[in-house]
Amino acid sequence: MSSQVKSSKKFKWALDFNQKNKVISTELPSPPGYSQSSNASYTESSKDTDSNLLLIKKLWDVALGPLKQVPMNLFIMYMAGNSISIFPIMMVGMLIVRPVKALFSTQSTFKMVEGTQAAGQKFVYFIGNVVNILLALYKCQSMGLLPTHSSDWLAFEEPQTRVEHIGGGISLI
Amino acid sequence: MGMLSIYLKPNFLGLLKFLNSVNWCIVLFSLINLSECIYEDQIGKFDWRQTYVGRVKFAQFDTVSTAKKIIVATEENVLAALNLKTGQVMWRHVFESASTGNIQLLHVSEKLVTVSGSNPYLVRRWEPATGVLLWEWSLTLQNEEYAEFSEWWVQNGLLVHMLPIFGSHIEVSMYNLMTGQNRGSTSKLPAIWINEGCALSVPYYTCISGEAGSQQILSVDVTSNSVQIINKPLSDLVQTHEGILRSLDGNSIIPAFILNEKKLVIIKNNQFEVTKVALGDTLASVTIADGTGEPMVIQTWSDSSKGFHLKAHSIATGNDIPEIHCTENIVNIPDPEISGTMCTKSAKDQLVCRILVTAADDSLQLMQQEGKILWSREEALANVVAVEFVDLPVSDLDAAIESEFDQKEGSIWAAFSRRLHTQYQQLQALIQSLQRPEGTKEEDTSPLVRDYFNLHKIIVLVTDVGKIFGMDNLSGAILWKLYEPNLDTEGVVMFTRRSARHPPHDAYLTIVGKHEETSNGLIISLNPVRGTLVGERILHLDVQVMQCTILHQTDNEKLHALLLLDKYENVQVFPQFSAPLVENMFLYVAEKNTAKVQGYALTYDGKEVIAQKTWSINLGGDSNSRHRIVKVVAKSPSERVHSHGKVLGDRSVLYKYINPNLVLFVTEGPDPIHKDVVVATCVDAVSGVVAAAQAHRRARALPLAVHTDNSLAYVYYNDKHRRTEIATMELYEGKQRWLAAGAAFSSLASERAPGVERQAYILPAAPTAAASTDTERSLTDKHVLLALSTGAIVEMPWLYLEPRRPVTPSPEQREEGLVPYAPELPLPSEAVINYNRTLHRINSIYTAPSGLESTSLVLATGLDLFYTRVAPSKTFDLLKDDFDYYLITVVLAALILASYSTKYFASRKMLKLAWK
Repeated sequence: MSSQVKSSKKFKWALDFNQKNKVISTELPSPPGYSQSSNASYTESSKDTDSNLLLIKKLWDVALGPLKQVPMNLFIMYMAGNSISIFPIMMVGMLIVRPVKALFSTQSTFKMVEGTQAAGQKFVYFIGNVVNILLALYKCQSMGLLPTHSSDWLAFEEPQTRVEHIGGGISLI
Repeated sequence: MGMLSIYLKPNFLGLLKFLNSVNWCIVLFSLINLSECIYEDQIGKFDWRQTYVGRVKFAQFDTVSTAKKIIVATEENVLAALNLKTGQVMWRHVFESASTGNIQLLHVSEKLVTVSGSNPYLVRRWEPATGVLLWEWSLTLQNEEYAEFSEWWVQNGLLVHMLPIFGSHIEVSMYNLMTGQNRGSTSKLPAIWINEGCALSVPYYTCISGEAGSQQILSVDVTSNSVQIINKPLSDLVQTHEGILRSLDGNSIIPAFILNEKKLVIIKNNQFEVTKVALGDTLASVTIADGTGEPMVIQTWSDSSKGFHLKAHSIATGNDIPEIHCTENIVNIPDPEISGTMCTKSAKDQLVCRILVTAADDSLQLMQQEGKILWSREEALANVVAVEFVDLPVSDLDAAIESEFDQKEGSIWAAFSRRLHTQYQQLQALIQSLQRPEGTKEEDTSPLVRDYFNLHKIIVLVTDVGKIFGMDNLSGAILWKLYEPNLDTEGVVMFTRRSARHPPHDAYLTIVGKHEETSNGLIISLNPVRGTLVGERILHLDVQVMQCTILHQTDNEKLHALLLLDKYENVQVFPQFSAPLVENMFLYVAEKNTAKVQGYALTYDGKEVIAQKTWSINLGGDSNSRHRIVKVVAKSPSERVHSHGKVLGDRSVLYKYINPNLVLFVTEGPDPIHKDVVVATCVDAVSGVVAAAQAHRRARALPLAVHTDNSLAYVYYNDKHRRTEIATMELYEGKQRWLAAGAAFSSLASERAPGVERQAYILPAAPTAAASTDTERSLTDKHVLLALSTGAIVEMPWLYLEPRRPVTPSPEQREEGLVPYAPELPLPSEAVINYNRTLHRINSIYTAPSGLESTSLVLATGLDLFYTRVAPSKTFDLLKDDFDYYLITVVLAALILASYSTKYFASRKMLKLAWK
């Protein structure tokens, strides 16, 4: 601390890298532009308000994430086409599985949230995922993967029974 | 839920079956595979063929060739060589089934000569060893009127043809056997004394003539140059004044005849000579054979008490020849007839004889001198008239398990003890099955119990001659046989009245036929597994039966009652106490020659069952239209359709019109403008409503039709274009269903007519039989099996016969899998299910479902029997039979081993790491 005071007195805006006087300083000087006082004042002032705001902002980002994916998903769906082959099926599978998974992990995603906007965020997150699932279902529908036609249930029908019974043929006489 | 529990309850197989009934899987498979053929190593794996020749008419031993054989010519117009040791067919020629193929003469010496046909006759010479035709020449007779009485024989290298013209003369012509050159002109022997009762004993022609009381017996050697008539009063030979002549059987070496079924008379030195040989029976079959040195008389007969008899006598002394006798007690050769004999002296100077005997049941036996049967052939099977596949009973163990599930009452402890008991039994059975391979191999054939997939069945065959057979369907072995000489099998019907699914009750099968003489009803009830008579046994009715059926409901013994409608429209019920069960039962009777169909409602009025006429239809229009019914096909009563509709390209459903009471009638009749017309009419047999009809002008009907599910197909001959065509129809309800799913169908309640799709295709072959494949749930594709005159059975996918085949398919139709219309049906050689085994004269194909939904069992009858199984949608529920069980076991074992070893090594490595 003493050396720093000394050098600053000697030449305020100059740095001497070749100091001839071998003064072994135990502590290095603070880097230029560093002010201990300002640092201390900052942390004290924004501790409460700033971190909370950031967290809320971050969580809103998370909550809006599924909705932001919608245009991307739409594009993927458009690109995948309606034919049933391995890649479109995989894409549709991902489209369904991801939002479902996300819905199930809502609790863990919003674990550290306690605040005024938590309910709203959860709701928006939920809506976003539901929109994604609906999109995926629409895709399945347009690909013909949903059992919505009567033909899809034909195999499970009971066989027809009969009331009357017949016998006969050409006369044996 | 109900459906699922039904499937899940019995066992894991039930679950598998349920999974298999998922429709889309089948559709997928059916689209991939259209061809049906087997690999070379599968030949004979699921199929067998049995070749027959028919009832033997002429038989001669071929002793000249190196390979000893018997040459036979049969009523079925077949010339064949049978192996002397085994009785197997060495070679066979099947002639035309009409009179042009009728074999008149079989002559075996160094050469094998036959005369076949009927004016013109064909004289052919064959190579006996191989059956190769060497030469033939034809012969036309001038006098056609009496040609049916003509007789042929070979004498001194000359073919002799004798034509008796009753009351006038005998025409004898002799031809050079090799060239066909007539030796001189036809000689006419004046003989006004000949009549229908004459007997030929080569070369003598013997008659009894004259007025009653002073009858003369006359005989003439028709081949000698000088006409010398042997003449004797009948009273010199026998005491009576009446006389009946009978020729001997089986190539006698000495001219002889039987007089009045009592006396054997030989002609020696132009003299009649009554032998001292006593005939054992009036119906005894007698032949004179060369007993190596002296001729001997061999006779066989059978009587009801002792069965079969075989005797031989010396012709000179009349003494019994003790070598030839029947020691074994054979009772199953009814009315034996000697077809041929061969006697030689062995090295030890013993008489060795081989006697070929044809019985009234068409069976053919080769016997040794002491009556031992060397082999026998069941030639009745060349004329099968009715076939039924019968399920086998489950094994005792399975029955115990099933009964365990059936018992609903009882405490939990009782059920537990039952379970333990059955498991103990299972363990015992397992131990026994493990011990068996070390022990004796007595049980070569698999025991008669149902197998896992119900592929093992018994085929019951009724033959034309009245013999009933039970046959193992996997091996083709005859398990039992029953001969009923009084059974007239015309129009015979067979019903399985109780399947073997109801232990402790045995299976029960009833055959309804006619009595040979009276034409009254004859009912045979038997156990199809053992061949023993049960229930009504053999029942002769005292009235003619018009139609019969079985009741759909069972009595408390799980037996379906038999309903008979007799000539006077009275109904008889067997057993009688089942009469109150008659309800919602309808019967139709079609008259073949008038094309009139009559419908009856059978009702129980508290005392008896009465038949009430409910509807009547004349298929020809009016009663004098001269239409006749060619074929009537109703649906199989066991058919249960589990597929209700067709899925169209736009994923909507076209619902099928599945009317179980629909009957297809194919009629033909004359038409003033179009010569002949063929009319196919679908009639609801309950209400008499015509659901669909189709007429084909300038066509003649063939008795081939298929009716299953909602689809119909029938074959007719198009006279205009001179080709065979197959017309198909499909009936649909439309895109909306009429009844709710699973609802009961009632013909009387349905008022709407179905939509009909129709189409006709050219069949570039001559079919002789048709049938459709039959599976348990009708989920598998339908294929139509067509037997062709070429001897092939072609499996034709319904996809090709589908009437909805569009000319230019739309994308949706293409997606549905409809094949574009082409007038001619393809008959690829891969579709021949009997590959290169040609089958002669197939007249029927019978199909039956197996326990596997994919597989249908097929039996083709005709001159040959051919059994196979087909899988129209491929065996989607079965591993391929070349599935490598060994490889998959090894791979699985290796994988398990590898996973456990890596686990061990991994833990060791972790331990080492922890110590570092």
